[in-house]
Amino acid sequence: MAKVDVGKKILSENDRVAAKNRETFDDAGVLVLNFISSPGSGKTTLLETTLDRLPQDLRVLVIEGDVSTTRDLDRVKAHGATGVQINTGGGCHLSAKMVAEVLPELDVEHADIIFIENVGNLICPSTYDLGEDGKVVLLATTEGDDKPMKYPTIFYESRLAILNKIDLLPYLDYDVEKVQREVEVLNADCELLQVSARSGEGIDDWISWITTRLEEKRS
Amino acid sequence: MHELSICQSMLEIVDRTMAEHPGAKLLRIFLDVGKGSTIEPVLLSEAFDVITTDGPYEETKLVVNEIPLAGRCRSCGSTFEYQEVALGCPKCESVDIEITSGLELAIRELEIDENGAGDPPGGDAE
Ligand SMILES: [Zn+2]
Repeated sequence: MAKVDVGKKILSENDRVAAKNRETFDDAGVLVLNFISSPGSGKTTLLETTLDRLPQDLRVLVIEGDVSTTRDLDRVKAHGATGVQINTGGGCHLSAKMVAEVLPELDVEHADIIFIENVGNLICPSTYDLGEDGKVVLLATTEGDDKPMKYPTIFYESRLAILNKIDLLPYLDYDVEKVQREVEVLNADCELLQVSARSGEGIDDWISWITTRLEEKRS
Repeated sequence: MHELSICQSMLEIVDRTMAEHPGAKLLRIFLDVGKGSTIEPVLLSEAFDVITTDGPYEETKLVVNEIPLAGRCRSCGSTFEYQEVALGCPKCESVDIEITSGLELAIRELEIDENGAGDPPGGDAE
């Protein structure tokens, strides 16, 4: 009987590939945001609104992660984005390797921003670094207001939380302040923006959050 | 349910480590799994059993050391385990908190039988 010291992070191989992706993104000076949410929180709608509202001279690429369809990619293409689809074939998250494999199909060199729409759930994608500048977690007022404490990892990992569908607040029993406080407890550096992708409320703040991050990235 | 892909990543590391010990039999894998790592130990064990059936690790046992999710308050310095409904530091209610442990997801060590190729783990392996 012998003990062999391993002392290795299980995701060390993913992290190695993510670091290579990050190098590619940094060299190109492109801002990469990885969107994570439950299904139905309005990720694709927010992406469509965002594409419409971002300054027109910015070149935006979208990497759509989905279990099996290209429906979301078709939607964002209609709003002027170029992109690729990654079908995970049942997988519940994107990995750094899946992203690395589609990079040659994208003109990363000449892009300003890449949005990665991860597979819809709050657990699995949160552990996988893809090489992004930041994870953005999206919540909707139509989900329970206990999400942050239920899925803490994604909130420690995220740079920004977005509460979508605030136009529905008058009709819902949703405690925004509680959510705000839970996000703060989990990650004091994670801001919470309140938006409605449908009515456009709060979208200006979101657009300026993105453009500020882009300026930071380039400076 | 990403426990299956976590298992695959784990086995890649295990394969590489075992390649350095030809002829050895892998008895146990010791893991550190933080409560905040998004891994459900029961699902991980089930995934491991499925993925190692009929292979060299069929009789290998997975031993999970669960590490509590703990934090430290930057305002008053007190340390605590995270409660499900923590709304701030239990002492001073500050929200300026840092996570100090509980995000681990690592293989700590392997227990091997260096001349045990083909033999089932002995009684003292349990
Ligand atoms: Zn305190």
